[in-house]
Amino acid sequence: MRVVPSICTFCGVGCGIGLRVEGARVVGVEPQPGHPVSQGQLCSKGWSTSFAIDTAGRLTRPLIREAAGLRPASWDEALQRVAGAFREALAEGGPGAVGVISCARATNEDNYAAQKFARAVLGSNNVDHCARICHSPSVAGLTLTLGSGAMTGSIADIDSADLILLIGADASENHAMIGARILRAQARGARLVVVDPRRTRLARLAEQHIQLKLGSNIALLNGLLQIIFANGWENRAFLDARCENVEVLRQHVAGLTPELTSAQTGVPVAELERLAYTVSHAKAAFIAYGMGITQFQSGTNNVVAVSNLALVCGQVGRPGAGINPLRGQNNVQGACDMGCLPNVYPGYQPADSSEVQAKFAQAWGVPMPQAPGLTSLGMTTAALAGDFKALMIMGEEPVLTDPDQHHVEHALRALDFLVVVELTMTETAKLADVVLPAASFAEKDGTFTNCERRVQRIRRAVNPPGEAWTDWQILGALAARMGYLGMIWADAEAIFDEMAALTPLFSAMSYPALDAHHGLHWPCDAAHPQGSPRLHAQSFPRGRGRLLPVSQVDPDECPDADYPFFFTTQRLHFHYGGGSMTRKSPLLERETPAGLLFIHPQDAADLHLHDGQGVRLRSRRGSLETCAQITDDMPPGTLSMPYHFREAPCNILTNSAQDPQSKMPELKACAVAIEPLPPGVAPRSADELNKEAGYGSF
Amino acid sequence: MVPSESRHFDLTCCELDSVERLRAHLAGGRTLYEVREDGQGGRHWQALTADDPTPFVAQTEPPPFAAKAFFFAEREAVFRFDGERFVAIEPTAPAQVLFGLHACDLAAVAYQDQFFAADAHYQARRAAALLVGLDCRHSCSQGFCTLVDSGPEVRAGTADLILLPTEAGWLLLIASVAGAAAVADLALPAASRDWPAQRVAHRQQVASEQGDGQWLQDGIAAINAAKVSAATWESLGLRCLVCSGCTTVCPTCSCFAPLERKLPDGSIEQERVWDSCLYEGFQKEASGHNPSALAGQRVQRFWQHKFGEGFRQTFGRYGCVGCGRCDHVCPGGIGVHAVMRKVGKPCSN
Repeated sequence: MRVVPSICTFCGVGCGIGLRVEGARVVGVEPQPGHPVSQGQLCSKGWSTSFAIDTAGRLTRPLIREAAGLRPASWDEALQRVAGAFREALAEGGPGAVGVISCARATNEDNYAAQKFARAVLGSNNVDHCARICHSPSVAGLTLTLGSGAMTGSIADIDSADLILLIGADASENHAMIGARILRAQARGARLVVVDPRRTRLARLAEQHIQLKLGSNIALLNGLLQIIFANGWENRAFLDARCENVEVLRQHVAGLTPELTSAQTGVPVAELERLAYTVSHAKAAFIAYGMGITQFQSGTNNVVAVSNLALVCGQVGRPGAGINPLRGQNNVQGACDMGCLPNVYPGYQPADSSEVQAKFAQAWGVPMPQAPGLTSLGMTTAALAGDFKALMIMGEEPVLTDPDQHHVEHALRALDFLVVVELTMTETAKLADVVLPAASFAEKDGTFTNCERRVQRIRRAVNPPGEAWTDWQILGALAARMGYLGMIWADAEAIFDEMAALTPLFSAMSYPALDAHHGLHWPCDAAHPQGSPRLHAQSFPRGRGRLLPVSQVDPDECPDADYPFFFTTQRLHFHYGGGSMTRKSPLLERETPAGLLFIHPQDAADLHLHDGQGVRLRSRRGSLETCAQITDDMPPGTLSMPYHFREAPCNILTNSAQDPQSKMPELKACAVAIEPLPPGVAPRSADELNKEAGYGSF
Repeated sequence: MVPSESRHFDLTCCELDSVERLRAHLAGGRTLYEVREDGQGGRHWQALTADDPTPFVAQTEPPPFAAKAFFFAEREAVFRFDGERFVAIEPTAPAQVLFGLHACDLAAVAYQDQFFAADAHYQARRAAALLVGLDCRHSCSQGFCTLVDSGPEVRAGTADLILLPTEAGWLLLIASVAGAAAVADLALPAASRDWPAQRVAHRQQVASEQGDGQWLQDGIAAINAAKVSAATWESLGLRCLVCSGCTTVCPTCSCFAPLERKLPDGSIEQERVWDSCLYEGFQKEASGHNPSALAGQRVQRFWQHKFGEGFRQTFGRYGCVGCGRCDHVCPGGIGVHAVMRKVGKPCSN
């Protein structure tokens, strides 16, 4: 038995784990007792890591599509096929017709390689990843108001906060070790307030639960500002010294009376006043939010509204205080940091700046693309229009996790060529022309960056199964096939060093420095060689914090006579993303049915629906069947489903209406109709329903 | 190897000039494991070579993992089905030494010896292992071994050899036939000191550090008198995130689940893997009925197994050995201390 220190891959918290290796395989994990983030604890997903990376069921050889289906091939043949397809697509459609969807689960090194491949080899800014569908509005919104889109503080700030305000974040389930830390803070006397349409575990344990109407975040946050300004509770000293646009915001919210806000949000006036008082009088408020803020067509404005509240109360830049987006994937922060976004290079260096282009052109030895890049939804839309030909997807499962699933599937089928780099045969990989087997995090060296900007080392514990390679090796070999030799690296550390040399935010980071400190927070440069756990103590990157008036935007689709229920999505403590890793655990897989719908007891009674009974759900985009679970977690009139299950993929139902600024689809709210299946009739899986409807299996 | 007759083995005591010399001797011909720091804040059982030069450090806190995984493997193949036949997979059982096990963890091994008495996989590995215990002189931070009769001095019949630290240096207690055989070549001189008095002094010291344990007695009494309200258990259940950490690190937890793995050659391999009774699915029946449908019921069931009188009578001791590991790993803050304090409070019921 050997124990190899690494970082958990199951969310953006970045817990320290030890991989317990017996012979040639990981048989279990243990928490790193001294780890500054997880403090010797893990969630059920973390404890189940050995199943997630089990080599049974893993892809071990490249696969190539022939008329009869996918067949094994050599790396040589597979890479040749991929290189040829990209060359053809480039010849036909130019750099705008090709792109890469990178992976928020892969390492910084893999992501750096992915955007370098897109820009230096394909000559295209068409590179994106799933941050689009979790926290792109955080980056857009906080960049507008502060000048930087990441968590302003660190997880340890929870320990010194006297108020923890969670908005649209189910932390004990999705970021469990942050949830645990919040519970410890509460036990030492901090106050917990949860704003969520659902009665989550932490909402039940909180001093105050603001159960607002789905999609009324801006109305609520503006209403709180009105109460704060009306009572003179704003932090005048902070506003004078650090912010701009105060009067404009004050006037914007002046008419939003508590009564009006109460009518828009469904929250009683007394509760609004209590929260306004609490947040404006807290010594240090740790304000954290999740996808209950971002996944709306008003996502960016929702983030701005959170930022407004924090700034007006002066809750930024001090120990315990801060605006803290809780990020979903283990390295979604890192994938953004590494420039796997169409508009920025590593370290958020703007892609449209000629200076930045010249810097990377010189470093990488080829001209950099001038044209703006496409987002992932932009790429799929262009594919449907016939303008986009060849796509590489690294380790993401858009067929399950993107909105309006039929759109994604049709778009991927419309491509001339799709190559998927994956651990297992996912629903997306099944559509590919070439599937390349990748190494899991336990099989490679590298770094992940957690949601508090802490860059941490992961270490190779076992060899990849069969012929699987790391993503950066695959990209480097493919680049070489396409005539570019600037991506042949000796090891992951060489990539990190290349990245750090080109990225001011990371300039003082190195593997030895990361090893010595349990990771370092960026910015980490000559001025901050020990990293920056807390940002904005003296000023904001854009100078003064900007208060921006924003107005309530209702969800694009609200309940009506045909689709009378509000519908939202959520996650379960036991699963991660599309379930391709967590569902390999026999224990986690046993824990819930493969797909379920949460419904309030009153709604269930009105529908004569029993617990566990099958239901059919319809939206304007599609329909599915699943089983109902009756719970007062839900408010009456609102239904919710987790998105982990391919048998009941709730994103068949969700709306792809987008936030105009970040292109975030409105995954958190749409309208559905529900009908119970006859008692005793089992729900049919999406696969079965598709066959009946003639869509074919995917 | 601690055969049942060693429970009645008369302890003898030797002077031990060098723990490292003993360790090197035992490591000859066996794989010897000792708890070492990993430089990243972790401590693990690590295999040492016979010539390992690092001085022995008596661990003052129990390591994150007890000895459980050495005998009850966390993942283990038990049989294969090749399409026609079921083939049992025989466990491999290399000779090994666990060096420096605390009394609590040895009490837990003895507890699991009973549970897995008829389990060939467990017993094969157990029979090939030599257990070297270590008496504690002070209480660890969360431990309460003196309140549950598991320490601080290694209990009779739970180890082959026992390291006894004293102000004047190390003593070694020979605690089983296998232990005597393992050190016969070292020709250690018999100790002339009053070692039983030394152990009593350690016990008194640790007992005074651990207090009178009223919190624990009250909790145990409430559980066994079924005086804990369902609402109290539910309030604890709300804090159970169902991470499975407690059952994973608990040295006496022994539940397992089957896992079918399809191998590249098409055959099926059946593993057994550590399970946790805190999962809702653990007791769920095929009909959908679940005797522990509520989170509070599952938390109650877990502690019933640790402190229930019926289990104590079956196993001859409580299922809790007082190591405090559940306190460390529980993200909901409901380890043994918090739970027993809560259920033992009259006002909470």
